[in-house]
Amino acid sequence: MAVWIQILPGSDEPIYLQVVEQVSKAIAKGELASGDKLPAVRKLASELVINPNTVARAYTQLEQAGLVVTKTGSGTFVSDPKLRRSDAADINALAERIDTLITRALNLGIEAADLTKLFDSRLAKFAGQSDKRAGEK
Amino acid sequence: MNDTVLQAKGLTKYYGNSPAVDHLDLEIPRGCICGFVGRNGAGKTTAIKLMLGLLEPTAGSSSLLGCDSSALTPAIRQRIGYVAEGHRLFRWMTIGGLERFQRAFFPKQWDDKLFGDMMEYFDLPKRKKIKHLSNGQRAQVSLALALAPNPELLIMDDPTLGLDAAIRRQFLEGMIELIMRQGRTILFSSHILGDVERVSDRIVVIDKGVLRANCSLEQFQRAIRKVVLGFSGDVPGQVDIEGLLHCKRGDKQLELTLVGADDEKVAAFAKSIRAETYNVVTMSLEDQFIEFTAPANHKRLFQWEER
Amino acid sequence: MRFAALFGKEFRECLPWMLLAAIVLFAFGGFTLRMQAHDINPIREWSRGYSTPGTTMQASRLTFNSPLAVVGPWVFGSAIGLGLILGACQFWIPNFTRTWPFLLHRSVHRSTVLAAKLTAATVGLILAVGGIWVGLFWYACRPDVFGMPQPARIFIEGWIFITLGLVAYLGTAVSGLSEARWYTTKIFGIALAAIVIFVTAMQWSLVWALAVIAFSIALLLSQLFDTFATKEF
Repeated sequence: MAVWIQILPGSDEPIYLQVVEQVSKAIAKGELASGDKLPAVRKLASELVINPNTVARAYTQLEQAGLVVTKTGSGTFVSDPKLRRSDAADINALAERIDTLITRALNLGIEAADLTKLFDSRLAKFAGQSDKRAGEK
Repeated sequence: MNDTVLQAKGLTKYYGNSPAVDHLDLEIPRGCICGFVGRNGAGKTTAIKLMLGLLEPTAGSSSLLGCDSSALTPAIRQRIGYVAEGHRLFRWMTIGGLERFQRAFFPKQWDDKLFGDMMEYFDLPKRKKIKHLSNGQRAQVSLALALAPNPELLIMDDPTLGLDAAIRRQFLEGMIELIMRQGRTILFSSHILGDVERVSDRIVVIDKGVLRANCSLEQFQRAIRKVVLGFSGDVPGQVDIEGLLHCKRGDKQLELTLVGADDEKVAAFAKSIRAETYNVVTMSLEDQFIEFTAPANHKRLFQWEER
Repeated sequence: MRFAALFGKEFRECLPWMLLAAIVLFAFGGFTLRMQAHDINPIREWSRGYSTPGTTMQASRLTFNSPLAVVGPWVFGSAIGLGLILGACQFWIPNFTRTWPFLLHRSVHRSTVLAAKLTAATVGLILAVGGIWVGLFWYACRPDVFGMPQPARIFIEGWIFITLGLVAYLGTAVSGLSEARWYTTKIFGIALAAIVIFVTAMQWSLVWALAVIAFSIALLLSQLFDTFATKEF
């Protein structure tokens, strides 16, 4: 289950952020469906050879983002997408990220139309999975 | 039970006229995994030896588990595991002989199974003599000898020095195993920031004997950042902003390395010098450490020249 | 249990040198004795003359003319040699192998670690040199070897040499632990030992010899325990 998490300690991103991002991505792609149990903190720490507190911090951040839910005694589970909210701050942060993306693309000389096409094709990769998720319900 | 497991107050050690450790103030709480980093000769080993009572301080004091370092009782030493620099052991002894030797000092707390498991995992036969072991294997034996008594406080001085990547990984696994046991505190010094990043909660940076940082790893990683400001015109000469570590002037840009700088203040400063672009560059822990401990006017070894 | 472990480790480290000293003494001392016993050596003449019944001789000549007199130097040499080597092994070598931190971070008082070393070396000297000496003396006293008992004084002298070995050991230990440079107080231990050995070797009175030795041992021991307790490693 933890096969899909890989961390690079020498990279620019703190380890806990790498875990957050990879779990987020897995959830977005549908590799982790709503209700799925995340590996126990200690187990994941042991497998990745990192401090259990780091894993705990990542799980806490995911919980704050509304992606997972921790039930004391049982573990951490992927939350129900219907219950996830996004507020203005989240949308703003997202907008900034999109700006970065657009800046990069334009600097590389990519045309707006090509960028939209690229975006759609990448989205399809995720959507295929999320449709599967929706279908399971 | 006292929550502070390791404490240093104004700990100072002079060799001749220069201080190896200069007024070190430190407090490590129970359960903390503390990475002790610094450049070569920064004073890490001296500080550790002072804390363990192997050296006498010129000034100041330190204590482990509430007991002063210069008077560590046998009972206190019983609760502290120590992997010394170089992990030197008695060369003529076999691993089994060393196990028996070490076990004699921990009649009630020795974990036979853990030691055996570790030896099996590292593929080390007990008949083998220490003098026939490689550096890495000796480090593994040292770690097992220090972990088997289940110490409350584990102090390791550069335990992975000279070890190859695979053995280092095994060593870290052993450390994680210990971390899982509640209430264990680990202080380890290391050059390898990747290892420190994996395993530590807390980072302590020492430079030329002086404490430069003592905070959670997260705080450290968040505090040190690089901001690149782009200009269409001339790059300003004077840069004055709080928390500036280094300033590098490029052709049309200014690269600022900042520690603990307020986001708004930086943005305001950027505006004040009419910067046109503002980019925050994330840094790896190793880069952060290097920038943090480099002297203000550090020279580059090699000069890049345009041809 | 803890002391036993420390003692075991120290004793095991002394063992090869003990064996060496014992073999040297046994070989050379024993060879000298056998040479005299089998009429190979002119020294034998002395004792042969005195083994004829009815001969009187001055008591004082007994000691000098005992066949064991030639063995004496071997006891002296192996005791001092072993003492020097053990002192070096226990207190100089660890500075180079850097095993002090491992040895000293133990749930015992530092003085216990020191006591284990001292006990091991002392036992080593007594067993290796003393044991062989007792054996050689016993052999020399056998009726079928020299035909006369050997003076007790010689036996005691042999043991005094062994205590001088202990002095050499302690002197080397003190020097090894000293933090000073070579040409200053570092040499104190070895120098003191050398003086004591020289003085005692010249002594005729056993009582004085023992007094000097006892005094020097007390001095060196107190210095040793003091230094070890506060020394930086």
